[in-house]
Amino acid sequence: MVTRTVVVANRAGIHTRPASMIVRAASKFESDFFIEKDGYEINGKSIIGVMTLAAEQGAELILNFSGPDETEAANALATLFEEGFGEAR
Amino acid sequence: MTDRSSPNTEEVIVAGKGVSPGIAIGSVYLYSRATIQVEEQQIRPNQVDNELGRLDHALKRSQRDLSKIISITREKIGDDSASIFEAQALMLIDEALVGEVTQLVKSDLYKADYAVRVVMEEHRQRLAAASSQYLRERVHDLEDVEERLIRHLRREKLISAIDHDRIVIAENLTAADLVLFSRREILGAAMDFGGATSHVSIMARSLRLPCVVGTHNLSDHAESGMEAIVDGFRGTVILNPTDETRRQYQLRQKRFARLLQDSQHLLSLPAETLDHRVVSIRANLEFKSELGLLEEYGAEGIGLFRTELLFLMEGRLDVGEERQFDTYRAINETVGEEVTTIRLLDLGGDKMLPMAHREHNPFLGWRGIRVLLDRPEVLATHLRAILRASAFGSLRILVPMVTTVAEIRRVKELVAEQMELLSQRGQAFDPDIQLGAMIEVPSAALMADRFAAEVDFLSIGTNDLTQYVLAVDRGNDLVSDLYQEVHPAVLGLLQRIVDAGNRHDVPVSICGEMAADTRIVPILIGLGIREFSVAPVYIPHVKRIIRSLEYEDVSRLSETALAARDAAAVDELLEHWLASHPYDLLHLVEAEGGPLPTPEASNLP
Repeated sequence: MVTRTVVVANRAGIHTRPASMIVRAASKFESDFFIEKDGYEINGKSIIGVMTLAAEQGAELILNFSGPDETEAANALATLFEEGFGEAR
Repeated sequence: MTDRSSPNTEEVIVAGKGVSPGIAIGSVYLYSRATIQVEEQQIRPNQVDNELGRLDHALKRSQRDLSKIISITREKIGDDSASIFEAQALMLIDEALVGEVTQLVKSDLYKADYAVRVVMEEHRQRLAAASSQYLRERVHDLEDVEERLIRHLRREKLISAIDHDRIVIAENLTAADLVLFSRREILGAAMDFGGATSHVSIMARSLRLPCVVGTHNLSDHAESGMEAIVDGFRGTVILNPTDETRRQYQLRQKRFARLLQDSQHLLSLPAETLDHRVVSIRANLEFKSELGLLEEYGAEGIGLFRTELLFLMEGRLDVGEERQFDTYRAINETVGEEVTTIRLLDLGGDKMLPMAHREHNPFLGWRGIRVLLDRPEVLATHLRAILRASAFGSLRILVPMVTTVAEIRRVKELVAEQMELLSQRGQAFDPDIQLGAMIEVPSAALMADRFAAEVDFLSIGTNDLTQYVLAVDRGNDLVSDLYQEVHPAVLGLLQRIVDAGNRHDVPVSICGEMAADTRIVPILIGLGIREFSVAPVYIPHVKRIIRSLEYEDVSRLSETALAARDAAAVDELLEHWLASHPYDLLHLVEAEGGPLPTPEASNLP
């Protein structure tokens, strides 16, 4: 299992568009992907799950990956968060 | 014959605002976004397979709807607004929806409709607890998916399944809704909310659909199948018209069709008064896809290109230089030798990005050039993209919401800096690009001469100017009757701006709804305005009336209007004048017609 801690950087938080970017990126990998926020965990490949995290700018999230391509998946998803989904910060 | 005994067949007239000209007569399709009633219902164990089959069918139908919506939105509006629907399509294959609903049907023997409601309700509640208002509002995306799915489960008619030739009535419609409806060749639309400059109104005009907005509670009184008339000229909607009303409107409909046909010959003619005063009529545009309208309606270039959409669609301020450049360049190339006026990003007021601050008084707050000067990096990118596009035609820059000359000077400095940078990069631009100020704030109007000394052109934004001068929010029903474009205070400022332009030999153009109102155009010509910018669909009508005016005559009319005691007196003056000069759209469409029912005569219960 690979774990990464990320912070939501874009100002609007994880709304519909970033959520769909996360899900589409995660679905390219075989590994399971879960996102944890304040002790609450959702499936990172579920758009409804990701949206209902209601993660605002500054929120700290723990990304958990497990599976054959967990490292690649972790790198790809962490990059998305770092880039703030290409949105204003 | 109309049955007078039943209240459901009584003629009802509702007043709103006409935002797209024309008359539609037909039967109503009531588009309801209201939450559908779903009751707890169970099935027998032997019905589980059947129920899951229904679910599968509804999921497929919903998926098909969305792919259609995605492709039309991409084609008509752009990739970015399509991304919302792509996210909705992802929800339809989400285990958090499909898996949980399937589970509930199997284990609790819930009917699929109810299971969908239960599952989505839980997700919605979690999102509704978010502290950010923007995130909370994403609940609508979940609701859209839920509604679509439940309607398909019930095999109810959805947008994509309505009959042809209907009048769509709704509490609220989005521009995307209207695009979808237009594929079914609808006749017209009316909605309880909305304003003339909202996207849906602009879309209605592009699609040439008669449309009335701001009809209050019309949607509560309309029913699908009922007969209705949408009068996009007067801004009224009539439900259950009497035979006489229908006859009157059919007459007007024919007359308008003939008028449109006649306006074909106007295309190649100049907008010139009888005494040879030449005026130019340009187009207000917002979508790249509207470019075809320029030729269709004979526009002499673009007087106002709104850049907001490009940014709102991406939901961010830092839209890349290349992406902006592509759009501006395409526009400038299409327009060719005529003028292309690009207004700098005018966010704020009612056009907000999600990251904006919450303000008590957004119209008096962070908007227009104020936002851009606070975000120099955003403005720099914006200017570079526009400057690069200026190499491909005759482009000019319009600065919105200026209140002091210092703002114009600062923009000029930034333009010079970006030119320097582009030169270093070896990229082409027009070094003599014109810069203009949008006059839409009383201080700028009062000091128009100071602005005229600083810029190459002035452009009057009458919508904002009127609301700022009269301190009236026209979206507020309690005071909207005080929103009077012909108020002598407004006309006096227009006069002042025109005079300032003349003194400094700087052209003054007018954009805003007033410029497209054929009733008011005579006064504007009389005030000395020689450049108009209006929604393309109004160009032939504005041209027609200008060609029937005599400048000498209308300048006297304007003088009288300026001296009037209030807007009501100007209205009276105009009514009198138009009676002897019946060239405005309403007179032309209504000539020889009998009386029409008015909202005062029969209002909503």
